Amino acid sequence: MFEPPIQRLIDELARLPGVGRKSAQRIAFHLLNAEQADAQRLADAISEMRSSVRLCNRCYNVTADQECSICSDLRRDTTVVCVVERAQDIPVLERTQSFRGRYHVLGGAVNPIAGIHEENLRIKELVDRVELEGIKEVIAATNPTLEGDTTAMMISRRLKPLGVTVTRLASGLPVGGDLDYADEVTLGRALTGRQEL
Amino acid sequence: MAIRSDQGIVLRGYPFGESHRVVVLLSPNHGKLRTVAKGVRKTKSRFGGRLEPMTHVDIVLYEGKELDTVTQVSVINGFPNIRNDLDRVLAAGTMIEVVDAVIQEDDPSLRMFLLLQRGLSVLDDAQPHPALVTAFLLKAADIVGVAPAFDTCSGCGRTDNLRRFNFAAGGSVCEECRSPGSYSLRAGVVEYLASVAAADITDLPNTDESMSKEALGITKRFMEYHLERQLKTLAVPNV
Repeated sequence: MFEPPIQRLIDELARLPGVGRKSAQRIAFHLLNAEQADAQRLADAISEMRSSVRLCNRCYNVTADQECSICSDLRRDTTVVCVVERAQDIPVLERTQSFRGRYHVLGGAVNPIAGIHEENLRIKELVDRVELEGIKEVIAATNPTLEGDTTAMMISRRLKPLGVTVTRLASGLPVGGDLDYADEVTLGRALTGRQEL
Repeated sequence: MAIRSDQGIVLRGYPFGESHRVVVLLSPNHGKLRTVAKGVRKTKSRFGGRLEPMTHVDIVLYEGKELDTVTQVSVINGFPNIRNDLDRVLAAGTMIEVVDAVIQEDDPSLRMFLLLQRGLSVLDDAQPHPALVTAFLLKAADIVGVAPAFDTCSGCGRTDNLRRFNFAAGGSVCEECRSPGSYSLRAGVVEYLASVAAADITDLPNTDESMSKEALGITKRFMEYHLERQLKTLAVPNV
């Protein structure tokens, strides 16, 4: 046990994902030995993030304003929406520089065994957006897992009657990978989704 | 620490650490197996989609103190048609959930493994029969020793006048043995349930939609009573 102020910080840090007690102790002592201003900047960043960040009114991405920077960007294509499980997935897709539409964050994926059903996600909000915003295509960019695929099928079932095109991210071989190491499921999907050259 | 080979059907998985996943399988030899697949959540993982739920796999495990580590996987049957159909995924999810609830670790049940394997194969081969999930639940109940009685009164053993169903008593009850909590069923439901329980899951009896739903509802409630937990995957109204 350390002195109470240090021990309290170690206990709090150890509650973070992926941080064990030893790592928490190392971080705490690093902060203790750091400049006062450096430690204060970290404290301010955490405090500001908690007090100012909220969910975008339109897409449920995290933002400091009413609408996130993507939804308020007038250059984006408003007729295409990419549906993701979590807000963390948006920067990953943005890095591709291949998508110029807007997003919709579901807040997870359907997992009936874990008790996560359609009504626990923002699928109804997506249906409302499609009806109100004149969206023509919805891209289901959920993870290529059983839960992600199930969620994509549920989205498709809800949106198809509205006359909107629902597409799914392609599955296949990673660029730079070796065919020898591809698993049967991925390779099977790559074959099914093959494209004419 | 040793390396061993086994086979199993993946029941579920959950994230573990930065990129690992704990994968829970049903093995014919060891019951429920909790294993760790390292790096499986990375896009370039050598396991790829082989450890997704509802996949029958051959695995090589490195035995650990708490969790065994998966070192090799090959797919025996990926049941690909289930994954592409929402109704089949939901039906398979119920099968998986029930098996996950009744089988424990180091509690091998070859019958349960074979039932799950056949259930998934039937789902993969064709659109599910309306009574498939009901039949699966009844057969799973039989394997774990809680099969409901349909032909005889659970109280006195008589074979006629069976118009009620009691979860605690273990199935059908006659008017004389009825107790609080006994449900009155429409004519023909008990006979239909008896025929579903006796039939092979590849050759199930047909009936109308409302009878099929009532049979599933009563079976669901029966299983939930004996499992002492809700079946989250089954979205049918309670009877």
